[in-house]
Amino acid sequence: MTETFDIAIVGAGITGCAIARQLARYDLSICVVEAANDIALGASKANGGLVHAGYDPTPGTVKAQVNARGCELYGAWAQELGFLFCRTGSMVLGFNDEDRAHLEKLRQNGLANGVPELSIVGPDRIHELEPRASTKATCALWCPSTGFVDPFEVAIAALENAVANGVMFMRSAPVEAIEVASSGEDARFALATPAGNVRCRYLINAAGNGAADISHMAGAEEFHMVWRQGNIVVLDKEPRTLMPLYPVPTPISKGVIVTGTVHGNTVITATAAVREPGDTQTYASDVNALLNGARKLVPDLETRRVVRAFAGGRPVIRGTNDFFIGQSAVVPGLFQAAGIQSPGVASAPAIAERMELVMREAGVELHERADWNPIRRAPDDFDRAPLARKEELIESDPAWGQIACRCETVPEAEIVAAIRRRPGAISVEGVKRRCRAGMGRCQSGFCQSRVVAILARELGCDPSEVLLEDAGSWLVEGPLKGVR
Amino acid sequence: MAEFKSSAIDCGVVEAVATQAFDVVVIGGGPAGMAAAMAAHKAGARVAIVEREQHLGGILRQCIHPGFGLSHFKQELTGPEYAQRIIDQVHATDIALFLNSMVLGIDSGEPTEDTAVHTVTLMSRDGMLQLTGRAIVLAMGCRERTRSEIKIPGSRPAGVFTAGLAQRYINIENLKPGSRAVILGSGDIGLIMARRCTLEGISVEGVYELMPYANGLRRNVKNCLDDFGIPLHLSTTVTRVIGHDRVEAVEVSQVDEHLAPIPGTERIVPCDTLLLSVGLIPENELSVGAGVELDPRTRGAVVDQNLQTGVPGIFACGNVLHVHDLADNVTTESERAGAAAAAYALGDGAETNAVADTSCELTVSPAGIAGYALPGRITAVALTKLNFRVRRPVDTARVRILANGEEMFAGKVRAFKPSVMESFPLPAKVIQRALDLGASEIVLSVDPVEEA
Repeated sequence: MTETFDIAIVGAGITGCAIARQLARYDLSICVVEAANDIALGASKANGGLVHAGYDPTPGTVKAQVNARGCELYGAWAQELGFLFCRTGSMVLGFNDEDRAHLEKLRQNGLANGVPELSIVGPDRIHELEPRASTKATCALWCPSTGFVDPFEVAIAALENAVANGVMFMRSAPVEAIEVASSGEDARFALATPAGNVRCRYLINAAGNGAADISHMAGAEEFHMVWRQGNIVVLDKEPRTLMPLYPVPTPISKGVIVTGTVHGNTVITATAAVREPGDTQTYASDVNALLNGARKLVPDLETRRVVRAFAGGRPVIRGTNDFFIGQSAVVPGLFQAAGIQSPGVASAPAIAERMELVMREAGVELHERADWNPIRRAPDDFDRAPLARKEELIESDPAWGQIACRCETVPEAEIVAAIRRRPGAISVEGVKRRCRAGMGRCQSGFCQSRVVAILARELGCDPSEVLLEDAGSWLVEGPLKGVR
Repeated sequence: MAEFKSSAIDCGVVEAVATQAFDVVVIGGGPAGMAAAMAAHKAGARVAIVEREQHLGGILRQCIHPGFGLSHFKQELTGPEYAQRIIDQVHATDIALFLNSMVLGIDSGEPTEDTAVHTVTLMSRDGMLQLTGRAIVLAMGCRERTRSEIKIPGSRPAGVFTAGLAQRYINIENLKPGSRAVILGSGDIGLIMARRCTLEGISVEGVYELMPYANGLRRNVKNCLDDFGIPLHLSTTVTRVIGHDRVEAVEVSQVDEHLAPIPGTERIVPCDTLLLSVGLIPENELSVGAGVELDPRTRGAVVDQNLQTGVPGIFACGNVLHVHDLADNVTTESERAGAAAAAYALGDGAETNAVADTSCELTVSPAGIAGYALPGRITAVALTKLNFRVRRPVDTARVRILANGEEMFAGKVRAFKPSVMESFPLPAKVIQRALDLGASEIVLSVDPVEEA
């Protein structure tokens, strides 16, 4: 079966979802084609969620052009798309004169990149801004525009909004081959996937770590991805959420950063080591490096309370270390959004904006739809709802009063809502990313069997068919004994 | 700036929410909560139990193995049988039961005179509800340590379960979590699950233990491993999880005397399931929210000899206070907490102290190989039950009680094991002597001695 669209976007990471949302306002048929069975299963789920301000990238690079703009756009995106975003500001801590010189260089970078209100502050101001920052820090680059998000929540919210505006989402559809017909044809790209074939007039490559393969399959630019792997650790919730604290960066990475999260946890992110493509293992050496690095920034950090350690690969284009955003010079009609490593989360709204501009300049006709709705209402979050709203919810459906996940206070109805959203959760981890059931300190020891039962009921399948994540990740074999 | 709200819940007293008043509100309907509620009820208090499950009994409901009740009922029972005996007792009273109800917060209001009440906010299918109690008993039990807390490296596939979750799948849900299991940790749950899996046709490749000794009770090592020919690998741990979607194998390594994996000893053990029995952690998020101070050693509340926390009127017992070895001991301890809570609520708190002595304010600290000592505070000169556990097994050691560096008492030389929760009766006269010496601290020390 083949469906034809004006635009196909390969990859439902934060980049692809943001582009889908950006283009959904125009009178175009759009399909997002995703290899995995859910949104944001690649680099988009395996990062620290920081909305970096944009003082890091070298001026003149593509990164430098989209980072600060993306960070700026986050306020409006969070409002319209109903995701949590905290703009707390951040500090890069310096511990000696050499660091201080580096901070000054970062500040100059930031000024060139359009980052607002950067200043270098001393110990008193550091302590005032973040009382838990190391007292050994002698200076810091204070950057009020830095913030943080749940990166998968951003991707999910963007795609939900896109789908509500008519975008189609194809899951479990890894692109296996791309045929490109002569440029005269209306739908010149033909994508073959196990979930069905897609024809389109314009193709957007937002395939993350698979971007080089997509470009190759389309006969476009040849480039190579480097799997720059990072381990990340999540600590339990704190009474007060920490401001992001950075060390002075190294040439390839921002170093080990400590940050609060939108739900009050603390995240330590991230190591950087080139490893085998696809390696998402955590390593003892990396986890120790994270905990040690974090303690240098926040000496009283309770590093015993690890809720989760995970890892992912930054989609780095070998040789350039920069984003590649633009129309293919080899295959017109193919638009590349490749090499979106850090600061990909921070840049996503601006990458989407830039992609729109690039397409416009390439002659793609964009006519605004009369019925476009930019608003995606945030789903009800029982834990955060005021008491009166909690009462209303339970009155509307008693399942709102039925606890499922105790660590994050997620009732059954919230899980059902996560499954029924479009696109909804179809796995235990998909539920977790949408409503936090299983995200807490017990790591689903209490709720997993309940979530499995709810998924089986809602999806009309047997518990043995319920997946933790993607294909093959079964949780239970089936009934032990007795009548089925 | 976008909305930035703390996740702490709003649990102040709100007019719109229905409220019911009690003398004692017990949070948790497991063995601890039920025993506390029964004791408070017997003392004449109006009592409520809040339980998040649909049934009373707590974790005992899924502990279908025998070994319970030998001390409390002088009879060997399974977990559900042990629980049912107490459930029947509870049902025969007018103790108010709030089942399928999750407590979201405890608000202790202003600490003013004797009118102070604690407000417990809970959710259920019937709506939000607030219960007031002059006293609260914390009996929320514990949770299992996770893979993340012990930082096992590797991939994150399906098939890694805490032992208790696997026990729930098997014993409550009738679901088979896998076919070929490796068990990490020789705590009692791990040992019990090794036998349980074997009986259910899940092959157990082995039990691996980081420490050089088994962590569970001796009888469980014999009944659950030895009798079934399941190997126990000491000083060995899981150093990597392998498999992208479902567990395909684990890598195990021997560890040195500092518990660090020894390079070159790695071995791949094919399996589809990894069960973790690597410790229990008292579940005190509600307690902390209520302002209760925790002991970093037990991760439970700091309590006095009446099991009262630092927040007046809030008591704690069972596994939320410190992880017990036997349910029977939970029952005994919780009865004390329930009686003390009732006495507090009914306004005759002084009667629970043999000698109410306002000048008695001692802290209790562990030393030697004692990992913790409970209670952490003594505020009355009376016979006081001290509980402790040792951090490592020793064949010959003795308990010593010290104050101001002076030895007040020395117990007889015997063996100690970390799997056993020890109890030691501290006589009133020892407490008095410590006070006479001007001490502010009593030290409970367990000291290994050379064999004669």
